[in-house]
Formats: sequence, C-alpha cells, structure tokens
Amino acid sequence: MNARRPLLGWLLIAPSLIGVTCFLILPVVLAFVVSLFRWDLLGTRKFLGLDNYISLLSDGALANSLLVTAIFTLISVPVSLAIGLVLATQLVRALPGSAIVRVIVVIPWVCAPLALGVVWKWIFQPSVGALNQILGVRIEWLTDPSLALPAVAFVAIWQNVGYISLFFQAGLTRIPGSIYEAARIDGASSAQQMWFMTIPLLRPTTFFLAVTQVVASFQVFDMVYALTGGGPQHRTEVIASLIYNEAFGASRLGRASAVAVILFLLLVVITVIQQRWFSKRITYDMS
Amino acid sequence: MTAQTTTRRRPLTGSLLVRRVLGHGATYLVLIAAAVLTLGPFLFSVMTAFTSTTQFAQQGPLSIPSPAVLDNFRALFSPTSTSDGFVTPVAVTIQMVTAILVGQMVFSVLAAYAFAQLRFPGRDLLFWVYIATLMVPQVVVVVPLYLMLSEVGLRNTFWALVLPFVLGSPYAIFLLRENFRGIPSELMDAMRIDGAGTLRLLWHLVVPLNRPIIVTLVLITVVTHWNSFMWPMVITSGPTWRVITVATASLQSQYNNNWTLVMAGTTLAMLPLVLLMIVFQKQITNSVGEATLR
Repeated sequence: MNARRPLLGWLLIAPSLIGVTCFLILPVVLAFVVSLFRWDLLGTRKFLGLDNYISLLSDGALANSLLVTAIFTLISVPVSLAIGLVLATQLVRALPGSAIVRVIVVIPWVCAPLALGVVWKWIFQPSVGALNQILGVRIEWLTDPSLALPAVAFVAIWQNVGYISLFFQAGLTRIPGSIYEAARIDGASSAQQMWFMTIPLLRPTTFFLAVTQVVASFQVFDMVYALTGGGPQHRTEVIASLIYNEAFGASRLGRASAVAVILFLLLVVITVIQQRWFSKRITYDMS
Repeated sequence: MTAQTTTRRRPLTGSLLVRRVLGHGATYLVLIAAAVLTLGPFLFSVMTAFTSTTQFAQQGPLSIPSPAVLDNFRALFSPTSTSDGFVTPVAVTIQMVTAILVGQMVFSVLAAYAFAQLRFPGRDLLFWVYIATLMVPQVVVVVPLYLMLSEVGLRNTFWALVLPFVLGSPYAIFLLRENFRGIPSELMDAMRIDGAGTLRLLWHLVVPLNRPIIVTLVLITVVTHWNSFMWPMVITSGPTWRVITVATASLQSQYNNNWTLVMAGTTLAMLPLVLLMIVFQKQITNSVGEATLR
C-alpha cells in the first residue's frame, strides 16, 4: 500500500523538481522568448516579434537544415536498421566466437561521437587518410559537396549498427523456436521464414528503434561538428549545427532559438504520432 | 523457392553437411566482416598514436609503428607553453562525471521512491510533467541555459558543467519508479515497524533490491557524461575547465596535420569507456531490455 505522506513526498521530490524546472522547463520557455528578439552574445537585445522566423524561412537556412537532416535520417536510419537486423540474425545463432563479436560491435556506441568523428575525419583525409590509401584513390570525402553528407551518414551508421543489433537480438530471442520448427515442417525456406515470420514478429522492436533513431538523428551534432562543422557549403549543416553556428558562430542567439523552437515542435509532433501508433500496435502479442 | 522441398525430404547426409558448413560459412563471413569493419578504425588510430611523427610522415597511415613510441602520449601529458596538455581535461572530466553521477543517482532514487511508494497531492501530475520533459533535447535548451548560467555569473566554472544535470534525471526517475513499484510492501512495512527511517529503508532495502537497474543507470550516466561535448564546449572557455572531448576537438583544430598527436588524444578519450564496456558487457547488453517497450 502506498503511504500517504505529503510532506515527505514533496521533500524527496524537491531536488529533482528544482532541476527539472530550472534546467528543462524554464529553458524551453526562455527559448520561445529569446526567439522573438535580436539577441547577441554580448547581451544587447531588441524585440523583433516573429522576424527571426520570417528571415529563417525566407533566406533558406532553415529549409536547407531541415533537408540535410531529413536526408541524413533517411539514409542512416533505414540502413543501420537493416544492417543491424542482419547482424542480429547471425549473432543469435550463437556459434563459437559470436560472443566476442557481440561485444566488439557495440564498442563504437560507448565512444564519444566527437572522438569518433575526429578519428573518421583523419581516415577520410584525402592524402594521409587510411581510406584513400587502402582504396588507392584520392577522393575528397568530406569536402566534396555531394559526398560529405553520405560520408557523415556512413559514420553514424557505423557507430550505431552494433547497438541496434542488440535490440534485434533481444527481439529475436523472444520469438519461440517452436514456430520456426512448425514452419520448417510446413516446408518454409529460410528466406520465407525471414520475410513472413521474423520481420513481422520483430515489428514492435523495429518500430521502437525506428522512432528512437529518428528522434536521435534529428539531434545529431557532435559527430558532424568533428567531421565537417556543417560544411562544405552548408551541405552537412544539420539542425543542431545550424543552432550552434547561429548562436555561437554568428552571435545570433535569437535566430538560433527560433530554430530550436522549431526543432522542439517537430520532435513533439514526432513523439505524439509515435504515441498514437504505439497505443495501437503495442498490443501485438507473440505468445 | 524450390529449395524447401529438398529440405523436407531429408537429402543425403553429404549435401546436408555441405549446407550446414555453407550456412555457418555465411554467418562467419558476416561476423568477421562486422568485427573487422568495427575494429579497423580503432586499430588505425591506436597504431598511429604509437607511431613517431617522422615515421608517419615518411610511410603514411597504414604503416605498423616500428618502433612503437610513447612520444605522442608524452607530448599530451607534458603541458607546454600553451598549456594544452591532457592532464587538466582528464581530471576535470573525472570530477565532472563523478559529481553528476553521485548527484543524479541520489536525487533520482529519492524522487523515484516518492513517486513509486508515497501518496501526496500533485504526484501524478508532476510525474506526467517529468515524462513530458523527456522530449526536451539538449540542443534545444543549450542557448537559454547558456544565457541563464552566464547571467548568474557561472560561465566557465565547474558548477556550470554539473548544475544542469546533478539534480536528477527524468529518464532515471522514470526507470527507477517502474522498478521500485514492484517492491513487496510487507518488506517495507516490516522495516518501518522496526523503526527504520526513509533513508535507511532506501539504503538497506530499496537500493539492494534494485541493484541491476541501478548498475545499468550508473553505466548509462557515466557513458553519457564522459562523452558529452556540446554543453561543456559552449559553457567553458580556455583550458581551466576543459573536458576531454573539448580538449580532443581543440587538439584537432590546433594541430590539424599532427595526426599522430591527435590520435593519441582520441585514444585517451575513448579508452576508459571501451574498457568499462568490456568489463560490464553483460550489464550493457541487459540494459537494452530495460530500455525497450516498457
């Protein structure tokens, strides 16, 4: 039974309530307020109304960032989910040696995206980089406007595949082996089993991963900062890079906050849609 | 799809054996490719970190260090004229992670216990608010947080690094509350009758009973804050309160072509967590179950 102890309850909540109020709720409110001002790093400010939003929409900076983030997401999420699933199906067979591989593939996930970005920036270097040396070519991976974004997405995929495969492994082990036996007796090939049984049965896991990965990729920053800083020609300027460059590069905190507000609203919409979906689909029972 | 008929009729053991080997062969091909592609970049960077600058200049990035030298690490740890050593960043990062970890764990456990086991007015509304804040990403609040902490004179201080995180995390509170709700009330009542206060109850009953989720949260917190970059970069300036990720980034931009030194820096930034990951692989793998579909 829950004990009714109002004073103690509030006392125990107090520190985290102060934290949540001051460092999460208040900043969101403040972001809305700052977005209505011209506000620089020295603290001078002037009320502008919605001018920051209007200029962001008219000069194409926001549209560019949204497009870059969307392309980044559309490349990195499906590819890392697909590779993660394939990897997981091989890892759950638990052959000798797979335990080591299971640990190895998760290593990039615990490493700082910033540090990994620096490592990959070096690997991608045109002249002294390992990749061009191995391939025997001289490609400007990170400075060619058409290659930079795919290269950044590749590094993100490389970092996340192992982590994603952990979720698929967990999902796969929850599927009872008896249904595969039944399918084999009925003569289903392994491709058929994969397509008609495994993938549908993994739908809750896939959906959870898709949503969390989309939300995460809308916030990606550290890796992009290390690899390209948003260049060349803003081709890799994801939303978070735009916020950072506007605020701390161009000293336009108001414009940066307007981008932040838009990102926040976008994530709220994604989350609400996800909730709707989840409440419909979560009842999927595999017993 | 004609292959299934042969499987069904149980073909010769010989061809079955071939199929088995081929099946495993394909699996091993995937596993080996995954391991090589994952480890490759780490191998290159660690190798380069142990290569002398002259050898790197002459033989390029794929050469095996001969002899392996510690020059790059020595250079990182001997702060020169510009005091860009890694000694301070390592110390600052350890302090920051420790402070955030202790604060976040203590305050999250307190709050989660209250949400799970006590009744008080406003509880459910407040919990809903906490859950809603899970939607707020760091990048959205970075500018206002910068303005707030600058306003109260905390820019470029240790407090600025830890304050936004030290008072508890909604995510941790959410996961802990789910687990604390399952504690049998008979146990709690028995301890209360014996005269145990809330703190003793938490320390001797609630925390030990929930050790797995707490270990998971400790690992997640350490990884998150050891790796955090954007906030420390924004709120600190100069070498005094530089954390290891910021030091790595500035090393890269400062010594753009001195890749052997830069790779020594990234190796140092990543090594502690890679070791942590290897030691706690079970807990990290299990944490996935905690995070999914609750």
